[in-house]
Amino acid sequence: MKNLQQELLFEKLRYETRRHFLKQCTTGLGMMAMGSLLQSCGSTQQNTSVSNPLSPKMPHFAGKAKSVIYLHMAGAPSQLELFDYKPDLMKLDGQSCPPSFLEGKKFAFIRGVPQMMGPQAQFQQVGKSGAWMSDKMPHLQSVADDISFIKAMYTDQFNHAPAQLLLHTGSARLGRPSTGTWATYGLGSENQNLPGYMVLTSGGKNPDGGKALWGSGFLPSVYQGVQCRNQGEPVLYISDPTGINRDIRKSTIDAITEINKESYEEFHDPETLARISQYEMAFRMQTTVPEVMDITKEPAYIHEMYGTQLGKESFANNCLLARKLVEQGVRFVQLFDWGWDSHGGGSEDTDVANGLTKKCSTVDKAITALIQDLKQRGLLDETLIVWGAEFGRTPMAENREGKAAAFKGRDHHTEAFTVWMAGGGIKGGYSHGETDPVGYVGIKDRTSVFDLQATIMHCLGFNHEEFTYPFQGRNFRLTDTSGKVIQSVLS
Amino acid sequence: MNTNKLLFISSIIIIGGYSVYSFLGEGNKVNYSTEVKPILNKHCIACHGGVKKQGGFSLLFREEALGKTESGKPAIIPGDAKHSEFIIRLTHKDPEERMPLKKEPLKKEEIEILTKWVNEGANWGEHWAFVKPEMPKVPNKGFFAGLLSWFSSKWEKNDIDYFVKNKLDEEGLSPSKQAEKSILLRRVCLDLTGLPPTEKQIQDFLKDDADNAYEKVVDSLLASPQYGERWAGMWLDMARYSDTKGYEKDEGRNIWQYRDYVIKAFNKDLPYNQFIKEQLAGDLLKNPTEEQYIATAFHRNTVNNDEGGTDDEEFRNATMVDRVNTTWEVFQSTTFACVQCHSHPYDPIRHEDYYKSMAFFYNTRDEDIPDDSPYLRQFTKPEDKAKLTDLQHWIKNNVGSAKEQEISHYLTFLEPKIHPHSGDQFINGALADTKYLGIRNGGSVRFKSLPLTGKRQLLVAYGNKTGSPTLMEIRLGSLTGKVLTTIKLDTTRKGGWTNSWDYQLYDLPKMDGRQDWYLTFKNAKVKPDQSTCIIGSFTLLPEFPGRGRADYAEKKKEFLALVSANTENTPVMLDSPKEYARQTHVWERGNWLAKTKVVQPDIPASLGKLPQNAPKNRLGLALWLGSKENPLTARVAVNRFWEQVFGTGLVETLEDFGTQGFTPTNAALLDFLAVKFMDEYQWKPKKLLKEIVMSATYQQDSKANQDLLAKDPMNRLLARGPRVRLSAEQIRDQALLVSGLLSKKMYGKSVMPYQPEGIWNTPYSSMAWKTSENEDQHRRALYTYWRRSTPYPSMITFDGANRDICLARRIRTNTPLQALVTLNDPVYLECAKHLAKKMDKVGGTLDEQISSTYQFTMCKTISEKKLAVLKRLYSTTFQTYQKNRAEAEKLLNICPDDNIKPKNIPDLAAKTLVASTLLNLDEFIMKE
Repeated sequence: MKNLQQELLFEKLRYETRRHFLKQCTTGLGMMAMGSLLQSCGSTQQNTSVSNPLSPKMPHFAGKAKSVIYLHMAGAPSQLELFDYKPDLMKLDGQSCPPSFLEGKKFAFIRGVPQMMGPQAQFQQVGKSGAWMSDKMPHLQSVADDISFIKAMYTDQFNHAPAQLLLHTGSARLGRPSTGTWATYGLGSENQNLPGYMVLTSGGKNPDGGKALWGSGFLPSVYQGVQCRNQGEPVLYISDPTGINRDIRKSTIDAITEINKESYEEFHDPETLARISQYEMAFRMQTTVPEVMDITKEPAYIHEMYGTQLGKESFANNCLLARKLVEQGVRFVQLFDWGWDSHGGGSEDTDVANGLTKKCSTVDKAITALIQDLKQRGLLDETLIVWGAEFGRTPMAENREGKAAAFKGRDHHTEAFTVWMAGGGIKGGYSHGETDPVGYVGIKDRTSVFDLQATIMHCLGFNHEEFTYPFQGRNFRLTDTSGKVIQSVLS
Repeated sequence: MNTNKLLFISSIIIIGGYSVYSFLGEGNKVNYSTEVKPILNKHCIACHGGVKKQGGFSLLFREEALGKTESGKPAIIPGDAKHSEFIIRLTHKDPEERMPLKKEPLKKEEIEILTKWVNEGANWGEHWAFVKPEMPKVPNKGFFAGLLSWFSSKWEKNDIDYFVKNKLDEEGLSPSKQAEKSILLRRVCLDLTGLPPTEKQIQDFLKDDADNAYEKVVDSLLASPQYGERWAGMWLDMARYSDTKGYEKDEGRNIWQYRDYVIKAFNKDLPYNQFIKEQLAGDLLKNPTEEQYIATAFHRNTVNNDEGGTDDEEFRNATMVDRVNTTWEVFQSTTFACVQCHSHPYDPIRHEDYYKSMAFFYNTRDEDIPDDSPYLRQFTKPEDKAKLTDLQHWIKNNVGSAKEQEISHYLTFLEPKIHPHSGDQFINGALADTKYLGIRNGGSVRFKSLPLTGKRQLLVAYGNKTGSPTLMEIRLGSLTGKVLTTIKLDTTRKGGWTNSWDYQLYDLPKMDGRQDWYLTFKNAKVKPDQSTCIIGSFTLLPEFPGRGRADYAEKKKEFLALVSANTENTPVMLDSPKEYARQTHVWERGNWLAKTKVVQPDIPASLGKLPQNAPKNRLGLALWLGSKENPLTARVAVNRFWEQVFGTGLVETLEDFGTQGFTPTNAALLDFLAVKFMDEYQWKPKKLLKEIVMSATYQQDSKANQDLLAKDPMNRLLARGPRVRLSAEQIRDQALLVSGLLSKKMYGKSVMPYQPEGIWNTPYSSMAWKTSENEDQHRRALYTYWRRSTPYPSMITFDGANRDICLARRIRTNTPLQALVTLNDPVYLECAKHLAKKMDKVGGTLDEQISSTYQFTMCKTISEKKLAVLKRLYSTTFQTYQKNRAEAEKLLNICPDDNIKPKNIPDLAAKTLVASTLLNLDEFIMKE
């Protein structure tokens, strides 16, 4: 604790310097960006932001969350079988969809007049808060009181890739920075021996939106997510090549550093000093990354808790990894799981009844464990967890090309879906927003993906409207031109 | 005192007097651009500009600012600040009334400037970049300056230096001496060709004592084929060139010939305005060559969305937006993206101007089709080429050359296609995968308002694998309308899916005007839920010429064979014929579904006028961009070249020359180069680059000292030479070159050098990274296959662009992940091993080997201290490897090599580490 005061002072100083730097270097609004971003202005002093773009920075105000774990269920699970309980929909099961639901609407695959389909799950009220949850996520029920559900989410993209892009970058088109990029750009990272922004995909399969979902867009590429690999080394080129052991690596880095110091003496280029520290950091990263990525040393009860599968690639393993990463100070961790696209076509695995139950069983325990584990370590308060997908699913059964599917499936749905948040800055045991009796559209407190982004930014300490970057003549921000912080879910 | 000295002294008095005069002169009148506009941009325009017009008051255009506000009165009365609300409000006592609202009041000096400006008539000055550049006088280069050089030897080598020196004098700085010869050689080689010099180039240059030794090198570099490769690298980021389409599956796109076009254009020193013309409007030139069509692929580098369920029209419109933004960013450094939704907040560009610009592009044939239609078809098989020549002759001789050209044009593009997504009113059918026509037995679809005048044939691209023919009935006007004809779609060889079509031609009766077509499909053999066939596109064509000739049927068959032939297809720009033309609308708040007023192609009035007689199409736009009347084009281009060489542009914001961009660090120099580029160099980049690299400014030593770092840390004033990190491409190419691995092979399809497993894991895609063979593994980086969703890892780590959208400027970063690439990426280890082998071949003592290797990798002599460090590294690692040969072998196994004698293994392994160290040094990664 003795250093806390000093640290704060230092942070404040750094913040002031930065503000000064912003003011002095501008010729207009937000002109700090681009070329001068990584370099100081009119000063020869080596401040940390010169040599290291990822050094910790202060946000607009003190945010409650220090880091974010974003759990994305790519493909989009059905909210109607998980969190948005609609008994009335059951009564309409098998009936033709009313024309008002279809007029002027476009669906990815539904054609003609589909039939309504009741929830394919049992619901019950759980926890002190009495949240309605289905039996598909039995473990998660135990932490219901830590969660804020957002039930009237909507988006305007009904295809996976554009909807995922919109959710993570604020635009359905390619080219914008992702949420994690904004976060690391604005906050830097707490641990310089690890990348500040890491991405874990189940089974190494990328989501439809591709790397752009953790891409840096028009921000410098240093802020993009580093994808952890499911085969070979955990981060590309992190391991020493065969035949080079740590001692040899140390000798080479020492030699590089010594010679670079010579170069600095000669040219006095601050860039050279930066390079020296980057090589030293790379060397440390080579130890830290494999260490933190190695879950085998975790105690048995932790493995049991998460339901990890050692030696295999699993979402549960990634959840445990996510905990380890935020524990080490990684700013933003994004998990992508796949196989949630419950169209019901082709096989039972993709239906919303048994298929979805099976799918849920691969994540339920791990997600619950993640919340509990963070809590027992006192990290939940400063770690924001977001669970969700790119859109929801229709209350109607899918009838691809006009014919009923062999298995019970639902089409992509933009008008209503559920996202939940927990941890840093978020109230527990709360539910925000409401959909109509069949779960077709939000009727109270509709929440856009921009609102969600604004809330994430708020939890991290940013006013999303002022957190901008000039590009092509516009001050771009994550939330584009809209977004309101969801005040009621804040703790 | 002699006369000359007298003249000199009196001249000082005159110059001094003049500056006092000019100071007072300028002090008398407020300068709008430099004094007023910055205040308005900073404090006022957010609420009173192009986006918001609070109280009905906007400061963007003069007529708006002087107009009536919501109060009914104007806020600015020219000449009368006292009664101008605009000024009164700045000092208003009531905080609810005082401007800027709820913010700190303006500074006293700022208010004084604005007051004075209003009193002087509130005149709008023009932003410097929107005024045509004039040739400035070269400072201090006259007679008197010549006299000054009595006192010192002249530093200046050409006119650039006078401009730079002038600035340095103002700041009390003096230029640095010339860089060491070999360092300069490395610098100029990297700048002009993207590659460091070869050992031979170094030796030759060091031996050459002629006065023009450097100039000879410059000339040979400019003439080398590698020059074009280096500069193409810069251009491809802006052109967002990529080998794939972008979204989701991110499948391949065959567009590499565009990359080759750019290389060739630079190599033949194509005048820049011609370069613009070919890329924006090559297809609209008179008798365009194949190359000129390929040039238009510049704007076919936009991303495509093939995901099932996506709306092609939405993504076509997204493409239009991208083309407008890119055009303005690349050629004008004018930020247009904001004008999509509202008038420019800072620059005099109106909302409507955006759509006038879009109208130049809105009429192209591309519609987000998976096969990238329209494309240029190149017949590659000799038999097809022969067939084509034969057919061309036949039509020319029997019908006439106009018809021949029409048919040849058709065979080159197969346009205008009617794509299934323009169909509607589907009954018992749908767009399969939201792309192709899939109608079931008895089902139907409508195609609205087809232009039928003169159309006598219908070409259908389709697949029918049902085992029995499908009948397609065409009715006019309604499902029960008159049957125009019924055509038989026989079973086909190909399945009918992306690029896998069979083509059939059907005769149509004579028709006129526009009609709705209702197509009904019948094939009793198919199951109820099965499509009768899959249709890719329709094309309405005039009658095949030459009816009545004995061999008519045979030639028509030949024609169909050529339609069906497999060709090399490159996406290009092609406008729709009039009958398919689209109208461009203004989109309310930038929403493509909220179309309002129709607009015609034009450029923003505030930036100029299309040249007289210029067509109102892309060609007209290109002519205006490439004309000397355009205030921006040459400045923007010159600035880009400058930035590539010096690391920072004369205008730092390469992407923005507007009022929000940076002001030039040396405006006179920028204008000087811009005017010279247009007039003297006739827009030829090689001449411009030669002028730049021949300057003393460029040739300066790049060492900094405390004084320079204090006064000019970023080296904006150029009192020293540029020291800049190399680009991603240069870093790779350099490592390959010094280790002797680099292939000089040019052009062709993109290659796949070594890439670790598991990088390409894009969903639903069958594409695989297949490592290229032989020298294709070691081609220059710009030939590397560029997949948008997963670009080549080391390229991205070193700040390469994603190529999703136009990127005018790469931001250079310095990160640990970069260190890991050059330390651990097998490509760099392979280079290190080969460099070690070269080291070995040097012979002599270890000192000699290391020194010599250092010499040709860094282009300079190694210092004692550095040599000692490397020797120590060698001996430590040599000892380790001698004790543990297996480890050494593992290291050397990075690439197979049977020629290493077992006893040499520890030595070569240790040398590999020394070599790897060289490849990681700051001085190697940097241009010095």
